[in-house]
Amino acid sequence: MPPKRARASATTTDAPSEEPRADALAPTLDLARSIYEQLDRGEIPRMRLPLRTKQNLSFQMREGVWRLGKAMGTRSARKLDGAQMLLRTFYLVDFINEMARDKKTSTLRELYYISEGWEEAKFGSEDESNLLIEDLEVLCSRLREDFRLHPEENGASVLGDLTIKERNRKGIVKTINCRDDVGDGGYALPFDVEDGKIEFVKTSAKFVIAIECGGMVDRLAENGFDERENAILLHLKGQPARSTRRFLRRLSDELHLPVVVFTDGDPWSFRIFASVAYGAIKTAHLSNYLATPSAEFLGVTASDIENYELPSDKLSEQDVRALEAERTDPRFQTAEWRSEIELMLKNGKKAEQQSLAKYGLNYVTDHYLPEKLAEMGVR
Amino acid sequence: MPRPPTIAQQLASKQREISVAEFFERNRQILGFDNLPRAMLTTVKEAVDNSVDVCDEARIAPEISVEIAKEGEDRFRVAVTDNGPGILRREIPNVFARLLYGSRFHSNRQARGQQGIGISAAVLYANLTTARPVRIVSRVEEEDVAHVLELFIDTQKNQPRVVLDDVALPESAHGTKVELVLKAKYVRGRQSVLEYLRGTAIVNPHARLVLQEPDGTRVTFERATEELPAVPKETPPHPYGLELGELGSLLKASRQATVSEFLVKDLQGVSARAAKELLVAAGIPGATKPVAVQGDVQERLLAALRAAPLLAPSSEGLSPIGAMLIKRGLRNVLGTLRPDFFAPPVTRPAKVRGGFPFLVEVGLVYGGALPVDEPVQILRFANRVPLLFQQGACAITTAIGSVDWRRYGLEQKGGSGIPVGPALLLVHIASTKVPFTSEAKEAVAEDPEIDRELVLALQAAARHLRTHLSRASRREFAGEKFSIIQKILPKLAEKTSHLVGKPVPDLTPVVTRIMDVVHVETGLTQEAKTRRVPVTVTNYTPRPRVVELFLEVAPELFARATFAPEPDGTEPALGRAWWTLPKLPPNGRSELAVTFAAPCDVDADDLDWYVAGIDEARLLGADPLPGDWDVRLPRTVVEAAEAAEGAPAGAPGEEEVDYDAAEASAGVRDDD
Repeated sequence: MPPKRARASATTTDAPSEEPRADALAPTLDLARSIYEQLDRGEIPRMRLPLRTKQNLSFQMREGVWRLGKAMGTRSARKLDGAQMLLRTFYLVDFINEMARDKKTSTLRELYYISEGWEEAKFGSEDESNLLIEDLEVLCSRLREDFRLHPEENGASVLGDLTIKERNRKGIVKTINCRDDVGDGGYALPFDVEDGKIEFVKTSAKFVIAIECGGMVDRLAENGFDERENAILLHLKGQPARSTRRFLRRLSDELHLPVVVFTDGDPWSFRIFASVAYGAIKTAHLSNYLATPSAEFLGVTASDIENYELPSDKLSEQDVRALEAERTDPRFQTAEWRSEIELMLKNGKKAEQQSLAKYGLNYVTDHYLPEKLAEMGVR
Repeated sequence: MPRPPTIAQQLASKQREISVAEFFERNRQILGFDNLPRAMLTTVKEAVDNSVDVCDEARIAPEISVEIAKEGEDRFRVAVTDNGPGILRREIPNVFARLLYGSRFHSNRQARGQQGIGISAAVLYANLTTARPVRIVSRVEEEDVAHVLELFIDTQKNQPRVVLDDVALPESAHGTKVELVLKAKYVRGRQSVLEYLRGTAIVNPHARLVLQEPDGTRVTFERATEELPAVPKETPPHPYGLELGELGSLLKASRQATVSEFLVKDLQGVSARAAKELLVAAGIPGATKPVAVQGDVQERLLAALRAAPLLAPSSEGLSPIGAMLIKRGLRNVLGTLRPDFFAPPVTRPAKVRGGFPFLVEVGLVYGGALPVDEPVQILRFANRVPLLFQQGACAITTAIGSVDWRRYGLEQKGGSGIPVGPALLLVHIASTKVPFTSEAKEAVAEDPEIDRELVLALQAAARHLRTHLSRASRREFAGEKFSIIQKILPKLAEKTSHLVGKPVPDLTPVVTRIMDVVHVETGLTQEAKTRRVPVTVTNYTPRPRVVELFLEVAPELFARATFAPEPDGTEPALGRAWWTLPKLPPNGRSELAVTFAAPCDVDADDLDWYVAGIDEARLLGADPLPGDWDVRLPRTVVEAAEAAEGAPAGAPGEEEVDYDAAEASAGVRDDD
């Protein structure tokens, strides 16, 4: 289905090294200099940024992911919105330079509250602060972690025979097996899953199965699916956090494990898969770092709903709109995705992962997954 | 054996039995007593209309109180007290307890009540429904006591029956109190006593009205002006409006010696020459006595009068409210809605239909707490009396619906019908004879002449609205720019300077590039007896400019205005003044002020500002000087105007996509 590529070969160019944050701030000061000079010359200050829109995604053959295209937009002080965003940018730049000096980090949520003191530049919502940080990532070719900013939410949880080393907050390196050393909740990913923080030691697993809902992870664990099939179970928790996607990418790159994605059968789950495999629109500037191009979609597909006669719900108006949007989304332009989307629109049905329980609790692990994995050539 | 009565005798006896009570019963609806809430409203209305009319005639600023108390199930006591001249003792019974008795029945001038059925109908209604007399307490200034009378109407004879005739110590220098007990209902809402008084207060800003509701709530509409309206002159009837019967009674009553004198003196619009010519045409000798003109001759005279080229009826019998007082009345009563805009009211010149002069006035209020998604509120008035019923059947409503309000900034389905939006329309028709659809005087009948005037007046008010809305949207756009240059840009400069460790640069060039307008900013300050409009002209453009500033204001306001500094030229008859300001560098400003002496009710909106030689997109708070101002501009201004200027900044068509707009429209936020 997705654009197939030889398994993980690209090494990430932007990936931070162990003591990476030293030069992170230089590009932010270059931005400030550019605006200062425009003001000094009597020009209306402005900034050019690549547009982060669906229309401006372009497929990178070499990396197998969707990245930002060449279309640029201008943020100018000529308009109130633009002027406000420019001012915010430099409050933010000032703030991260201050944090670097004081050797502090901050969560995105804390940043949102810190902006309370920024008067005109105050963020209207957390969304706005996230978007601005992504802008800064794009402008400076750096990661937000380089700016000492990290998200509030934790990454996903991992369950399966995977041994890792994590350097914890006290600097002590712990060796953890994600099946034997953890409780039923699994190993919880920290927000930083980079090399200096987490190292892979060994695994007997043959593949990774990334799962949308917690209930399904528990079902597979209770049924002993991970041990029986030599699988690593990874809970996506809906639309996956950056650290989750980064972790998947590393599993794929470094351990050469196939990744399959198991979600509900609805348009929103299709998007979850797209952001895992092809890269998300908002973070398309980081796709070669966050996306796992070798990941494959296992289901629930529109055809599964028919073939397995799954209990289904009618598509809502929003569902249909989401499918319509996916029709024009460049990431979904493969023959397989197009026929899936058309089929779902035609049948007007969606189904949850849990609907497989119609045939009993063991059906998913005894029949559905083995059949689907065999079909995909993973098993 | 007595002969049985003839059919004629039978009929005659029946005819006698048709009493006023029966007349009333048959005409309840047109008299305005067909249901209980309406009986309440009609009663109050008749009493208050009379009170305002007599006060106006006596040149007294009306002070009227309406007290309504509940006496039982569907039974109320209504007392209306005025400070009018009072009524002579001998006149009281006839005024209140005899139908079709009144002083204004035949007078040819604008008056609130047009036939004498009003208050006595309310008295009759009260008599019939509660069997209680009307109680009148009235004092005229010349007497030391007030007379107290209680009256019934003798429904057989249409005569007053006095049941109490007393005197009392007066409570005021002069005035009348009418007290009735009637079967009625007290309601609130659109067609209520309160709404009627509110409407009356708007169009009679010289009156003070107090209402005490049955639950004890007191509502007071304070006087908004001490100025009394001019009393309309009583004018002789104009031949174009005469019916044959009326002509006959005028001839009979005439004190003139000859018919030709009658034509010139007892009628209006007939010159001596016209009289001579039309009498020749009708074949009537000019020396004929008026009373002798009868039958055929009368008909010939009327035909000749109608065919003759006469002067138009005089509008001296009309009493328009006037632009200033409409505005003051609306502001006084609607002030709590905090409207954004009181359009300069429109008073059309008087026109004629039939033999009767009429004129149309329109006021428009917009914004504030007026509801956005409801049909606009319509306040209809005829001769300063609110019309609360039959809105759908009224010519005023039809005229409003026939204007395409979409062109003026209101919503309207398909371009006709009552528009929707946060607006209120006041429409007043003044005439010596308003054509009502029925005797209930609730709706104005369709008439092509009146309709034409209504539409013209409404369109004129609507144009003011459009100007206001377009100015408001430009102000909003400019408001954004001011936020940028005043709040954001200085901080952006400070932050980036701090980050690169350099001094803050001079922002003037950037500021003028962002704004790129000449800004005419006006304020309004109220001082003890004056209103002062300070004006600041700022050159927010990147080049130095000589600004030629023009003011236009209503001539009557202009007459009360003083200027600092003195204008370089004026034209008082047109309400115009102009100044050549000293050359303004970028970011430079110049100030002047216009001061209006009392009494005046000036808004910043009443002053129109124009600037010559600068295109519209580069002006804020002023419009380009219209071409029809025949003024000689200084050479410097002409040259500046001719010098080519590029498209102003901030105009659409930026070379690249607006990043933030693209993000928002692409819906990045709700995507994955």
